[in-house]
Amino acid sequence: MRTLFIPLTFLGLATTAWGQDPGAMVPQTVKTGGTKSVHVISHVVTHPGNWKAADIEIEQDKGRPYVYICGFTNFDTQIYDISNTAAPKKIFDWTIEHPELHRGIGAMDGKYFKIGSHYYYAQSFQFMQGSPDATLGAVIFDVTGLPDPNKVKVVARIYYPAAPGGFHNTFAYKHSDGRVLYFATVNDAKAVVYDLDKVGSGADSSTWLVGSVPNPTPSKTFRTGSYHDFYVGYDPATHLDKFYGAGLGGFSVWDITHIEAPKQLFTITGPGEEIAHTITPSPDGNIVVTETEYQYTPLRIYDITDAQAGKVKNVDVPISAWTADWHDLSHNHEVRWPYVFVSAYEDGLQVIDLSDPKHPKTVGGFFTCDCVHEDGFGGNPDNGWKTTQPSVEQGAFGVDVRNYDGLVVISDMRSGLWLFKVDGFNSYKEGVSSVQDYTKAPGSTPPTS
Amino acid sequence: LRARLLAGALSSALLLVGPYDMKLLPGPAAPNAAATGRLMFARSPFGIATTVDGHSIYNIEVTTTGLPTAPAAYVAWAVTPDLATWTRLGTIANGKSIVGPVSLNKFLVVVTAEKSPTSPTHDGPTVLHGTSPSGWLQSFVSHPLFRGMPP
Repeated sequence: MRTLFIPLTFLGLATTAWGQDPGAMVPQTVKTGGTKSVHVISHVVTHPGNWKAADIEIEQDKGRPYVYICGFTNFDTQIYDISNTAAPKKIFDWTIEHPELHRGIGAMDGKYFKIGSHYYYAQSFQFMQGSPDATLGAVIFDVTGLPDPNKVKVVARIYYPAAPGGFHNTFAYKHSDGRVLYFATVNDAKAVVYDLDKVGSGADSSTWLVGSVPNPTPSKTFRTGSYHDFYVGYDPATHLDKFYGAGLGGFSVWDITHIEAPKQLFTITGPGEEIAHTITPSPDGNIVVTETEYQYTPLRIYDITDAQAGKVKNVDVPISAWTADWHDLSHNHEVRWPYVFVSAYEDGLQVIDLSDPKHPKTVGGFFTCDCVHEDGFGGNPDNGWKTTQPSVEQGAFGVDVRNYDGLVVISDMRSGLWLFKVDGFNSYKEGVSSVQDYTKAPGSTPPTS
Repeated sequence: LRARLLAGALSSALLLVGPYDMKLLPGPAAPNAAATGRLMFARSPFGIATTVDGHSIYNIEVTTTGLPTAPAAYVAWAVTPDLATWTRLGTIANGKSIVGPVSLNKFLVVVTAEKSPTSPTHDGPTVLHGTSPSGWLQSFVSHPLFRGMPP
């Protein structure tokens, strides 16, 4: 990957000492408000009831001001028009047929993608044992016709009967071979890969699945090795498409230039990393931000330079760590180097500066959860998913960043949709991120579509 | 003799455990309703009723409480797991009702509130629903999300 960090178009983010005090008392009141550097643009309570949202996705093209909310246990997808960022307008709401018959955690992750002149959105679902649609992984919508909701159509459904339980996390990736690929977690020790052109065009469904990436470190404790999340990116230095996987047992990095024959490059495993959840590399691929999913654990930062160079096959010692409040847990993140935007569950939106990866700095944050500590997600559908033991899994679940203007969106399990601006962060125009350029394959010069 | 005694003891134990009653959960249209559905083999000269291709044929004894009295009829349906096919089984009321037959392997039992007791299609809201015992024969044990692990 790149040997130099891409210069950023934003400067002067104010740093604020916030959290990080290991001696701080457990907060006795609900956390509210935020730092001066983070500004609430708008907030929408997306659903009634205790649980309002899982992940979130924002479109990146100017002229398409749309945000997608995964409705979690409401089993729906909502699309908001944010032409006026101060007043998001719900323009589309689709719910699985006969929601009252379904049981599960429902609409979890969403990704938009573009093929030719058509825009699509893939909504992942997870339904449980004994429920209808237990083998359903995702519903694919053609959303080209937005903002007219009548022009949004379901064009395909992806089922994975070999391992019921649906897709938890997904990633849409423009591969260097020109295809748009859809990576999905399944209830098995691998990630599965679909060719989205075949899915969207109505091709024979037996041709959709084009590959899989094994998890090389299945957990001995949990006796399984499902991936939880992943990042896929192109490395211009080596001309390789690389898959960064987080799964039970640890993290692993793969060469997926030929998706039908992935090659393992190295792993990141070590004490405390067994419940690996999320991993995102820096633009040059030498630093990764990782998350493990259990209370009190911080985000861990690893230097993987030697592993990328083939000098070591495993990395097991982080160079630093960060947490908003050690009593809690941070969840997903989006990297816009050197900044990391974190959906930090009970600690809401948090922004970190990794200019010096060995010394992460908190830039600012805003509490979105408005919730009682340790009263998070758990239980089962019969008790409304109310936890029966201390749980910090509530609050900011998903985060996304619109690169052209620096708008930050959060989906909060308890409070719904939030739009933010962060002082000094007005765009991210040239750097590598999870955002895909669907007009050309990475590594190619002329547009391919 | 030891084997026969063991088999007899096992049969007795199984009789104590079974038969299996499907738990029917309330839908939003009747939040106070509760029911169980017991699968009973349909009448047959051979003891166990099957179709020509070997599927068991059941009637379902539905024991219900808490159904409101407003609609004209509560109709029970056998529904395939993909929700594509709804087969009318009959009407139920508070107390015991027997509906059927159903010869599906995996299926849902769904009770809807309909305007007519002879309604051939389901139009009304769901008041009760449950899954056949065979519908649970699908292991999710290895899936961390369904073993109490976090999202």
